[in-house]
Amino acid sequence: MRPFKPGYILEVLPRILPYTAVTLGIMAGTVFFGGLLGFLLACAKIRGGKVGNGVANVYIYITRCVPSIVMLFIVYYGLPEFLRGIGIQTDSRNHGLFVIITFSILFGAVMAEVFRSAYESIDRGQREAGLSVGLSGFQTFRRIMLPQCTVVILPNFANALVNLMKEGSLAYTIGLMDLMGRGQWIIGMNNGSYSLEVYLALFIVYWILTILIEYVFRQVERRLSRGKKIVV
Amino acid sequence: MTLNLQFMRETLLSTAAGIPTTLELTCVALLISLPAGFFMAIGKLGNRRGAKRLISFYVSFVRGTPIVLQILFVYSLLPSLLNHIVKNVLGLSWNVFNINPIIYAFFVFSFNTAAVLSETFRSALLTVSHGQMEAALSVGLSRVQAYVRVIIPQALAAALPNLCNATVNLLKSTSLAYMMTVKDITAIAKLNAAKGYNYIEAYLVIFVIYILLCTTVQLLFYVMESILSGYKKRITI
Repeated sequence: MRPFKPGYILEVLPRILPYTAVTLGIMAGTVFFGGLLGFLLACAKIRGGKVGNGVANVYIYITRCVPSIVMLFIVYYGLPEFLRGIGIQTDSRNHGLFVIITFSILFGAVMAEVFRSAYESIDRGQREAGLSVGLSGFQTFRRIMLPQCTVVILPNFANALVNLMKEGSLAYTIGLMDLMGRGQWIIGMNNGSYSLEVYLALFIVYWILTILIEYVFRQVERRLSRGKKIVV
Repeated sequence: MTLNLQFMRETLLSTAAGIPTTLELTCVALLISLPAGFFMAIGKLGNRRGAKRLISFYVSFVRGTPIVLQILFVYSLLPSLLNHIVKNVLGLSWNVFNINPIIYAFFVFSFNTAAVLSETFRSALLTVSHGQMEAALSVGLSRVQAYVRVIIPQALAAALPNLCNATVNLLKSTSLAYMMTVKDITAIAKLNAAKGYNYIEAYLVIFVIYILLCTTVQLLFYVMESILSGYKKRITI
């Protein structure tokens, strides 16, 4: 067995660290599109009537039952075929796009539940009180509901974000060069040696990112929930 | 775009042969991690500082890193480490590389799920009020009896929804076992797909299989929940 070389972890860290930007970029894109999708689904669940609610529920149920990797493969291999069928050519080297689409589909379902539960956690009286003092529907949403919802959303959102980052590491299987992809590439360039050291370096980076995300959201949550103390 | 239906029918049959492997992975990992997670939850609620810190560290690590990375790490570490131990430390000529890779898969998925379950059980145990334990002890039950007869049945009812979630997530993550050359549903589908570039068809088939499997798991938990929470209804009458 080849001796373990801890020094290589430090050697490889600077080589994978720049690719944190790719991982975070993919996450940002997914949060934007997936968040939008989740918002629409939550609206459908709350206001959509029987049909909207049913469609949203079926969508959420199905996406939660399918492993991310299967979804990733379906999108990566299936979407170009489908688009070719309706006359649009795609470039399969555009890995980031497929990754963002896949994880937006999955993240949207998670966020739909997060949004809905936050909305329902707010007392109905808050909305009625807002309307009764002469605010418009939109104003009530923006000034009364949204600030209260945000506090409820934050911990669940942080959780979803961490899960997204971890699941996002699967993107290397279709060839995306993110943290994980870069790590695998380095192992490949070494003809498979030093794999343990590279994986340990990746563990460190992902673990620190998770702790950072959780820390930042806890701080924001603490700041935003200041108002609660006065009410009680 | 036209789907090759003939191929889909064949793939359905061949991937169905992988269902037992997927279920085996899920069940074994669950059987190992249920007690492990339970004792870690007890440890975290107890007052041994060292144990608490160790468990928190482990849970934070597992939940802070991708499972695919854990899989790749274990699969590149364990076989050669075992080989080294068997050959050089024990001096046996037994070939480690003949071990069925599903053993390594059991290890990773149990390692991962135990951390998730320890959190589930911890919050479930916290929902049972302290008075229940005191009442059980005061009528002469031992601590173990109190846990088995009073605390666990109540905590289990509270834990079931999260337990169901954890099981579904475990079932989904077993799809990554193909990285350890375990022949589960996903591995067979990948193999079939690569033969004739029928990727979409193969993945659509297992898409449906996974939905059916997850539905079955959820139904089972639904039945269990209605049985276990029976005691609650009796109280309200």
